[in-house]
Amino acid sequence: MKEIDIPIEASVDRNRTNPLARVFDELVRFCRSRSMFMLHYCTGCGAIELPPAMTSRFDMERLGIQPMVTPRQADILLITGYVSIKTLKRVILTYEQMGSPKYVIGICSCTVNGGMYWQSYATAKQLDQYLPVDLYIAGCMPRPEAVLEGMRKLMDRIRSGEADGWKDYYRRYDWYLGNQQHLFGDDWQTPADVIGEASHYDLAGPGTEGEHTRLLQQCQKPLEPQQTFFQIGGSLEVKGESHE
Amino acid sequence: MSKKVTPWLDNLLQEIEGIEIRRKDSRRVRIDIAADSLPTLLELLRGRAGYVHLSAITCVDWIDESQFELVYQLWSYESQSLVSAHIRIARDPGVYVSVFDLYQPAAFFERDIHEMFGVYFEGSPDMSKFILTEWNGPPPMRKEFDAEAWVNETFERKEYQPDWLKEITEQGGGIVKSPEEARQKKP
Repeated sequence: MKEIDIPIEASVDRNRTNPLARVFDELVRFCRSRSMFMLHYCTGCGAIELPPAMTSRFDMERLGIQPMVTPRQADILLITGYVSIKTLKRVILTYEQMGSPKYVIGICSCTVNGGMYWQSYATAKQLDQYLPVDLYIAGCMPRPEAVLEGMRKLMDRIRSGEADGWKDYYRRYDWYLGNQQHLFGDDWQTPADVIGEASHYDLAGPGTEGEHTRLLQQCQKPLEPQQTFFQIGGSLEVKGESHE
Repeated sequence: MSKKVTPWLDNLLQEIEGIEIRRKDSRRVRIDIAADSLPTLLELLRGRAGYVHLSAITCVDWIDESQFELVYQLWSYESQSLVSAHIRIARDPGVYVSVFDLYQPAAFFERDIHEMFGVYFEGSPDMSKFILTEWNGPPPMRKEFDAEAWVNETFERKEYQPDWLKEITEQGGGIVKSPEEARQKKP
């Protein structure tokens, strides 16, 4: 695959000369909190409580929250229940595809501390070691009222600017990556260039790079288009490429 | 149909040596058999008695007796009855023959048992990883594998009494019953 070099303009010297900048910030935050698309990654039983929260009885849409089908268009990543180690890989891949600002909500006790899977070899225990969780909604499982309460809390936090877990992921990427490598092994890599994104958002700090990111760079293999074969009908084979 | 097949099957099975048949129910038979004779039994049941459906192969780890028990669940659509064939194999080295040539679904069950218990099935088409693709430890369903110790070694736990919770507890909220208290059995 040919490498494409796109110059990214650094935003270091962006002086905020506009006197209305803070007003706009507030307006933007207000609008952002009132229109959220959530990607619910239904990992466990907590997903059962979301249809009633979304449909006519509790009607999440009156708060401006709607389900979204793709991670790249979503603002909230809802993790509804236990995350097995296998699922956690997919969750991290999904999270890194989402555009910033992005928020993670952990629903159910299992995301907090393993819940009823406290001694299971197959599930990750604390979600916030691998992803920056903005809000936990505890319960086994939380009722739709609790889910809505949590959503309102997140809206408040977005409006006040406290919900900045996604910034934390860029600032302390080395720590998060270290925990991920602890579970998945040293050759763990994702297609996203998180360090590059961190410097793009001007969020690269002392915790962004470290021993774990150096390990990542050592073990990193260049991504290649995956060869896929489709069989249509009898013997006809169509060769295609899919990009992961 | 079912009334005729069942006594006929009983007579047939009595021909095999070292077999113990326990009829649990009019539609359930438990057969304990030596491990060497199981392929013969399955061939007989499939070819002559209509037990064409292998529902599951399950494995039990008898660590004290140093044995694995394999249970083959067979279902007949004609006589609407279930036969469970139990065998014991040595835990070490834990190798048995595959019944893939008789029942093709066995490939999945055997692959699963190989992953969870480490029993190797000779002649099975694929013994690679099945569900636990991220797992590099010992087969986790073996009795000697201590999942709790592994979890304590691998994961950290959140504090049960963080400072912010103490404030809530003082106001009458928080955790009502501690986990240690909750796990204690009632006398």
